[in-house]
Amino acid sequence: MDWLEDELRRALARQDPPDGFAERVLARSARGASGARRWLAAAAMVVVAAGAGGAWRQHQGNEAKQEVMLALRLASAPVHRIQSEVRGMTQ
Amino acid sequence: MKSLLVACLAALPLLAAPQQFHLNLDSVAAKASEHVDVSLNASTLQFAAKFLDASDPDEAKVKKLIAGIEGIYVRHFEFKSAGAWSQADLEPIRAQLRGPEWSKIVGVTSSEDGENAEVWLRTAGNKSVGVAIIATEPKEMTVVNIAGTIDLEALSELGGHFGVPKVKPPDKPQKEE
Repeated sequence: MDWLEDELRRALARQDPPDGFAERVLARSARGASGARRWLAAAAMVVVAAGAGGAWRQHQGNEAKQEVMLALRLASAPVHRIQSEVRGMTQ
Repeated sequence: MKSLLVACLAALPLLAAPQQFHLNLDSVAAKASEHVDVSLNASTLQFAAKFLDASDPDEAKVKKLIAGIEGIYVRHFEFKSAGAWSQADLEPIRAQLRGPEWSKIVGVTSSEDGENAEVWLRTAGNKSVGVAIIATEPKEMTVVNIAGTIDLEALSELGGHFGVPKVKPPDKPQKEE
């Protein structure tokens, strides 16, 4: 059984990693983390952009609504005046 | 053929433009202390309508009113002193309203306080397709063009809303044009 023990000893013997192995592992790990961060940042940007787009649309809508109100206020005042005067004359 | 096509394409914006007369009042704007310039086309009105709250009685009225409107164009001027503007300033507008498609349906002039308001209707066939309003006071002038179909009664009702006080009928009849 000596040959088997020798084989096992050789196979399980402690071996030092090749030069630069630890650096390469750390570098790959860092790349993975920064990629995840990039995706996270991109997703956050999409959410923020969608939110900003919605807020901008709401803002534009409110501005348009205020302009409609202003236009109708200015248009309705003289019509209302005419109608009141005409009613006053006919009564 | 190509030049005809180019000419037709160039004319498209004019055909699409619902404004029914030119509100060429730059000379008045130069004399005014304040002026409001509102130009709303059909797409802006439709967009604004989406933000009008149907559960609010006033906004519901506005929403209903603007449903048939293709455009609202308003020029409003305020002047520091009476006499800053003259009837001649309105002549470019009146000249356009003398066209056969326009007819003055009502006008009220108050010699007492110098107020004047008139409403013109634009017709195409037997259908009314627009309204022009000219309202003047010694220190104010408003010119409005509403393109499309509008219920003047409903528009008048809005006169007492949005912070505009309702006008009481005068005690004595005043001169009507």
